[in-house]
Amino acid sequence: MFGLYESAFGALTWGNIIMFLIGGLLIYLGIAKKMEPVLLVPIGVGVLMVNLPFAGLMIYTADGFPAEVSSLSALIRAIGSGEIGLLNVLYTYGIKSGVIPLLIFLGLGAMTDFRPTIARPISFVFGAAAQLGVFAVFLIAYTSGLFGFDIEGARAAACVGIIGGSDGPPTVYITAALAPQLLGPITLVAYSYMALVPIIQPPIIRLLTTKKERAIFMKPQLREVSNLEVILFPMIIFIIAALLVPKSTPLIGMFMFGNLLRASGVTNRLAESAGGVFIDVLTFLLGITVGALMPAEVFLRPQTLAIIGLAIVAFALSTTGGLLAAKLINLFLKEKINPMIGAAGVSAIPMSSRVVQKMGQEANPRNFLLMHAMGPNMAGAIATSVVAGIFLGMLM
Amino acid sequence: MIDWNLAAKLAGGGFGVTILVLVILSLVAWIVGLVIQKTQAKGKEIPAKDK
Repeated sequence: MFGLYESAFGALTWGNIIMFLIGGLLIYLGIAKKMEPVLLVPIGVGVLMVNLPFAGLMIYTADGFPAEVSSLSALIRAIGSGEIGLLNVLYTYGIKSGVIPLLIFLGLGAMTDFRPTIARPISFVFGAAAQLGVFAVFLIAYTSGLFGFDIEGARAAACVGIIGGSDGPPTVYITAALAPQLLGPITLVAYSYMALVPIIQPPIIRLLTTKKERAIFMKPQLREVSNLEVILFPMIIFIIAALLVPKSTPLIGMFMFGNLLRASGVTNRLAESAGGVFIDVLTFLLGITVGALMPAEVFLRPQTLAIIGLAIVAFALSTTGGLLAAKLINLFLKEKINPMIGAAGVSAIPMSSRVVQKMGQEANPRNFLLMHAMGPNMAGAIATSVVAGIFLGMLM
Repeated sequence: MIDWNLAAKLAGGGFGVTILVLVILSLVAWIVGLVIQKTQAKGKEIPAKDK
């Protein structure tokens, strides 16, 4: 009767309380430590929302999946009757459908300048080699049986592996398609580790390179890239990639379309909008919905710990792959490149490039590697989209 | 039971295809860049010769 009788205190579980702490920690990291705040703060809020008993913002079925409605016409009635909540709608029509991650990729494309990749096309090879962690961790996750040995297990393993690509939208996109039950932990781990790139990458780079290699000087200027090249690049890469890996078309298509808005020079307002408020709003919606995918009974499982462990292996191996590819290519080059730029093939833009820049200057104060590292960094984003397309093609 | 065929196809084959696709993209980007640079260089040479 009035108040306590109708309160949700009685329904609180220890799991809910642990999730409140996790949600609070995410909000703290976002606000106080400025770690991916656009994403971690809404994820934290989503975690709090979904773990409040009877809140009704995200309703789950008895099997632990977000409830859905079969048709749009039933939607209003279902919300009104409490069969589904607001976040169920965002999940079903925004994330599960792939719309939000794809539109975020459009925004990222509008923020990307491909000149460093165009100036040094070998960057694509570093981007490809930096997918080593994705496939290695897929193999580890699948053969260990953590997610089962059937096709569902392989799908889950692929989604865990792709965290190593360090690219948010492709990770969300394929997880929503292949293993939606893991979307919460995988998205959280992927974005958290991306923010931790400056901590994860330097020890691996130091381990695999000598100081002499890190000090290799590269001329600060890349070749001049004409506007025509900048305009043609997204269209040509899109067409060739879509023909080679058709399932990557939505991701690469959106990324390149966004980039064309910027590169064309005649749709600046659209490009600014896509890379500004548009992407911020979508990232916020993605964050809060992903947070709502983490009720205690779904998140507090051994699988989540396994994902956290495997993801760091994926990151480390991807860094290793890019770095070793650069060292290998150096064997054939007269004018040596600094092998650290290969490590930027993981597509955590621009954190990876900044790590390389900082370490390059530590080893040789004359070095200015930022633009050299941006090439593989952006090629890595294309590579991860290609990998997502390959996984979707093989596992759907 | 581990389906080794699936594991090898996805891990080995997938990584191989990724490398191949990105090498192709790299070659395409290099060729397009080369053609455009040469065309633009020619375009600049012609008015210089006219003088």
